[in-house]
Amino acid sequence: MNDGPLIVQSDKTLLLEVEHPRAEQARRAIAPFAELERAPEHVHTYRITPLGLWNARAAGHDAEQVVDALMTFSRYAVPHALLVDVADTMDRYGRLTLEKEGFADSPEGTRLVLRTTDRPVLEEVLRHKKIKPLTGERLDDLAVAVHPSERGTLKQELLKVGWPAEDLAGYVDGEAHPIGLQQDGWHLRPYQQHAVDGFWHGGSGVVVLPCGAGKTLVGAGAMAAAQATTLILVTNTVSARQWKDELLRRTTLTEDEIGEYSGARKEIRPVTIATYQVLTTKRKGAYAHLDLLDARDWGLIVYDEVHLLPAPIFRMTADLQARRRLGLTATLVREDGREADVFSLIGPKRFDAPWKDIEAQGYIAPADCVEVRVSLPDGQRMAYAVSEPDERYRLASCSDAKLPVIEKLAARHTGEPTLVIGQYLDQLHEVAELLGSDVITGETTVKERQRLYDAFRTGEISTLVVSKVANFSIDLPEASVAIQISGTFGSRQEEAQRLGRVLRPKGDGRTAHFYTIVSRDTVDADFAAHRQRFLAEQGYAYRIVDADDL
Amino acid sequence: MATQSRSLADDIRGRSDAELIDLVLARPDLARPAPADLTSLAARAGTRASVQRAVEALDRGHLQVLEAVVVAGDAADRDSLLRLLGTDDAQTVDGLVQDLWRSALVWRGADGDHVVRTVPEVLGTAVAGLGAPMRELRPSARPEEADPAHIAATIAAAPDDSRAMLERMTWGPALGVLPTASAGRTTARWLIEHHLLVPVSTDRVALPREVGLLLRDGRLHRTTELTPPPIESRQVSLVDAAAGGAASECLTHVDELAAMWGAEPPRVLRAGGVAVRDLRATQTALDLDPDHTAFVVELAYAAGLVADDGEVVPVWAPTSEIDDWSSREAGHRWATLALAWLGSTRAPHLVGRRSTGAGPANALGPDVQWPAIRAIRREVLRELASLEPGGAPAPDSLRERLAWRRPNRAASLLDEAVDAVLREAEWLGVTGRAALSGAGRALLGAGTPSTPDETAAPPVDRVAGAMSPHLPSPVDHILVQADLTAVAPGPLVGGLGSFMRLAADVESRGGATVYRFTPESVRRALDAGWTAADVTETVRRSSRTPVPQPLEYLVSDVARKHGQTRIGGAAAYIRSDDASVLDTMIASRDLAPLRLRRLAPTVLVSSADPRVLVDLLRDNGFAPVHEGLDGAVVHSETPRRRAGSRRRSAGPTVSPVDRALTQALVDGLRAGEATADQRRAADEARPGPRIQAMDPIVTLSLLRDAVADRHGVWIGYSDGHGATTRHLIHPQRVEGGRVRATDESGHEKSFSVHRITGATLES
Repeated sequence: MNDGPLIVQSDKTLLLEVEHPRAEQARRAIAPFAELERAPEHVHTYRITPLGLWNARAAGHDAEQVVDALMTFSRYAVPHALLVDVADTMDRYGRLTLEKEGFADSPEGTRLVLRTTDRPVLEEVLRHKKIKPLTGERLDDLAVAVHPSERGTLKQELLKVGWPAEDLAGYVDGEAHPIGLQQDGWHLRPYQQHAVDGFWHGGSGVVVLPCGAGKTLVGAGAMAAAQATTLILVTNTVSARQWKDELLRRTTLTEDEIGEYSGARKEIRPVTIATYQVLTTKRKGAYAHLDLLDARDWGLIVYDEVHLLPAPIFRMTADLQARRRLGLTATLVREDGREADVFSLIGPKRFDAPWKDIEAQGYIAPADCVEVRVSLPDGQRMAYAVSEPDERYRLASCSDAKLPVIEKLAARHTGEPTLVIGQYLDQLHEVAELLGSDVITGETTVKERQRLYDAFRTGEISTLVVSKVANFSIDLPEASVAIQISGTFGSRQEEAQRLGRVLRPKGDGRTAHFYTIVSRDTVDADFAAHRQRFLAEQGYAYRIVDADDL
Repeated sequence: MATQSRSLADDIRGRSDAELIDLVLARPDLARPAPADLTSLAARAGTRASVQRAVEALDRGHLQVLEAVVVAGDAADRDSLLRLLGTDDAQTVDGLVQDLWRSALVWRGADGDHVVRTVPEVLGTAVAGLGAPMRELRPSARPEEADPAHIAATIAAAPDDSRAMLERMTWGPALGVLPTASAGRTTARWLIEHHLLVPVSTDRVALPREVGLLLRDGRLHRTTELTPPPIESRQVSLVDAAAGGAASECLTHVDELAAMWGAEPPRVLRAGGVAVRDLRATQTALDLDPDHTAFVVELAYAAGLVADDGEVVPVWAPTSEIDDWSSREAGHRWATLALAWLGSTRAPHLVGRRSTGAGPANALGPDVQWPAIRAIRREVLRELASLEPGGAPAPDSLRERLAWRRPNRAASLLDEAVDAVLREAEWLGVTGRAALSGAGRALLGAGTPSTPDETAAPPVDRVAGAMSPHLPSPVDHILVQADLTAVAPGPLVGGLGSFMRLAADVESRGGATVYRFTPESVRRALDAGWTAADVTETVRRSSRTPVPQPLEYLVSDVARKHGQTRIGGAAAYIRSDDASVLDTMIASRDLAPLRLRRLAPTVLVSSADPRVLVDLLRDNGFAPVHEGLDGAVVHSETPRRRAGSRRRSAGPTVSPVDRALTQALVDGLRAGEATADQRRAADEARPGPRIQAMDPIVTLSLLRDAVADRHGVWIGYSDGHGATTRHLIHPQRVEGGRVRATDESGHEKSFSVHRITGATLES
């Protein structure tokens, strides 16, 4: 029997024993095709999915390599059925290709063609009701013309029927614009450079990096590689400003070259940063700002936080298939399960590095995660017991039994930059009053937010109470303590974002602290269990402490 | 070898002992019941039923030769056989004919080979798709019309469209429906007029055998396949390791099935089997696909590990066998399952299929019974065993080989069954990576060709010995992680395995098992009597890694709440604000039978009836009052007694029809049989002649004669139990279907005529 570090399970998960001497080797061999699902301290779980296998195919791996990796490192015999399935699934990718034919200077111009090496496959997909209308004239037995405008939708539909097409039709160069990285006193970290290279060689796709690992710089690197006008789509205005600041600091771009296209301002410049919100704004039933997408001949489109990409943007993206697209995210997991759309419309995963690895390289701070359990006083337990189910979470998570704990924690970390994060405004205001600090909610003006963030960053104020507006893309590098007092029903993605707040590398190598305060024996604790599971799966050991023992 | 035989019986009488043994081994049905002599052996070998069995067991090569012998006619020479078969491989054909002779489908006379008379009957008229011979279709035909040269000349002269019509019928079926269009009719008429087709009814025509053969260029079959088609295979490595992995997983599945059904056994449907819903629940719990689940369930059943418990409301539950089985070493457990599978006549792949006119077949139901599957299973394994070790067959070529072996089976059913057997063999670990494993070979007993008897099972130990080295060795530790999962990097040793199944939920199976501790699973362990300390300690002891703090917290958190509320039964309570009164009651010796128990300072409970309590307390000088359900005092001035509503007795139990009962029944039958024999013997011993059964009309006239002549008559008379006894009577009159007569003892009696089996005059 082989003494490998890997155990292949019949449900297509792979268990990797981390302490095994050949674990690192095995990890590198399986990373291209298996998604890391859980990474607790001893045994990591990877999962083989069709998307993962196709990602591997897109990256140039073949079934032989996958099977070989499994056989080489597996401790027990690999189930035969699984090997067959891997080979079959991978074989499906690339049977269909999207290609461009003809020459730009010929009278007919170029056209888009769906080509196959296997006629029955083409016949099969052309029989699908949703696919037939996307195609045009049948060119020969093995090829059919495709309307260029349907390039994205076709890829989406083909993936749905299990025959993902390889997009070889190439990209337009877009309007050239010189962009360079100003690497004075800093350099792209090796993994950031790998991410940029991986993306550029792949053409389009998604780069997965943990929060705090410098995704903005990967974006900047991609722009420098493209040397073309760029449209950057981000989640909100604050994040847009931060992108702008970062680009000004790290690249040769000047203030005049970067435009902001948001609710407040509508600037279109060689590099334009737009928010998802403004793009999805509807006026009289039509998207009012759709023109932005065609306003310039963009050479690159960057999607920040791909896992939050709203559905209408997917539809718009379907029409942008001729342009290079870079997706940036901390996780490919979407709460709405639209991972397949990300694959077919933005592109396959081009780079991926697990959190713990980057942490180990010293680029993000180690974190100490603690869950503090408070007992509700009898009166509140009674109120909780008789409340309506939809009221319960609010009741439990807003219990004032949490206040002394928040106070105690804040006192313990006096002087350290501390964020208190919560969902309910009343509670946030109450806590802000208790701690004598400022509060940022959705109602706070952008200007005020900016001011507070700046003050926090410079150390002028050490405690800030924030609502979930702070979840995304706000760079608060100096926060070293986060206290979570309530959150959205145990969303894993939210947890990732919040942990990300405190994971930026600290100047003095301090450990970051992440506290979650939950009410015992309530739904609050149930949701907390989900979130902790996520933390543990990311490799962060956490502790549970009773409030009294604090 | 007999060369002078004139019949099959002669041939068989002339065979040597060894040849006779070969014959009986080839056709085991001849041996049961044992024939008295060679003549009756020959007679039985010639019966339609026996020949049918023998022909059905033939592979395509033998069948084609047999067909050729039939078509060639009696005492045909070898050249005409070769011509019919379209081959010049005389040696192969001779070998095949010799096989047919050995199994007595062909006998040898002085003039050559003859087929046994019943063989053409069994093959039917359409031998190899050919029609009946000309002289059977048209007795009036002149001999030259069946002459090949004559037919060839006629065909050569036929118009093109007529020849095309003939060609369509060439490879069968040899019966055609006459076209309705007039053009087609003209074409057909030409053929009929020239005796190339023979009308058999108003709208059907047949192609005579001679014409068909000529059209086929004298060959009987389109493709002659005297030797089995080759099985394509490729060499794979790690076969035994893969099989071992699958075997280990299979054992886990059966363990889990037993654990699940032991706790919550599914109902037995009225028609037998497991309900679809229950099977689906099992499937979800085992996390398998439906076919695989059905296989596991049927496997456990075949091995006798689960069964219908035979209760009033019957359920499928693990049998007592399972405890013995579980305690054995893994290889042995596997061998038990594998042998059961090999010998089972149940076809799990039929579960969920719709049979005609019925719903989908239920697992463990009667529709899954398909005896043919056992032979197919063995044949598939035998074909696998015929490959080099490590040879994985291409399924298509294997299906073709099986179709060649069993030309009489419906191809679609056979293909499906072959696929199912291959799949099941892989699940069970009989094959690994599609090639037969060492243990599979041992299972088939491939090493001992001297036991051709299909029912002889290779000993369980030999099979176990072949599998054991390849089963992953059990591990005695787990790896516990902060996300509350525990990974067992191999099959767990028994005790730890059942602890983990109890205290954690299985999340992923395979070479390893991933368990997850949840509040529910920990509570399950506490419910089963474990303490929090025991659980934590067992985990700590078994874990190679430090136990994470959240797990300890989880266990203590669940334990904190576990048993916070307690529930028990009591028939009455005593409450009093004065705790000292209650103290006295508890201390009182006279009240001891009430078994008073203190729940709180002011509350006692007892399992005695409230009324008894009140009476007894009053007798002992207390002054209790009776409290109603709402807590108000119930006054009863005069005691009004009412009988409590009668407790319904448990329904009658039905004792199942088991072995003992059946045995008793059979004993009774035997005893009855013996008595009947004695009575018959006693009856025989009585004086008087034998009475033949005769027509009632004859009997009546004889009785009337006797009345007239005042003659005594012996009659056979069947009594109320159907036994026939003899009586000597003197009939006095015959009327209304009855006979008045005096019997031997002089009493006058009346006999019903319809019960008189026969009569004869007293000599």
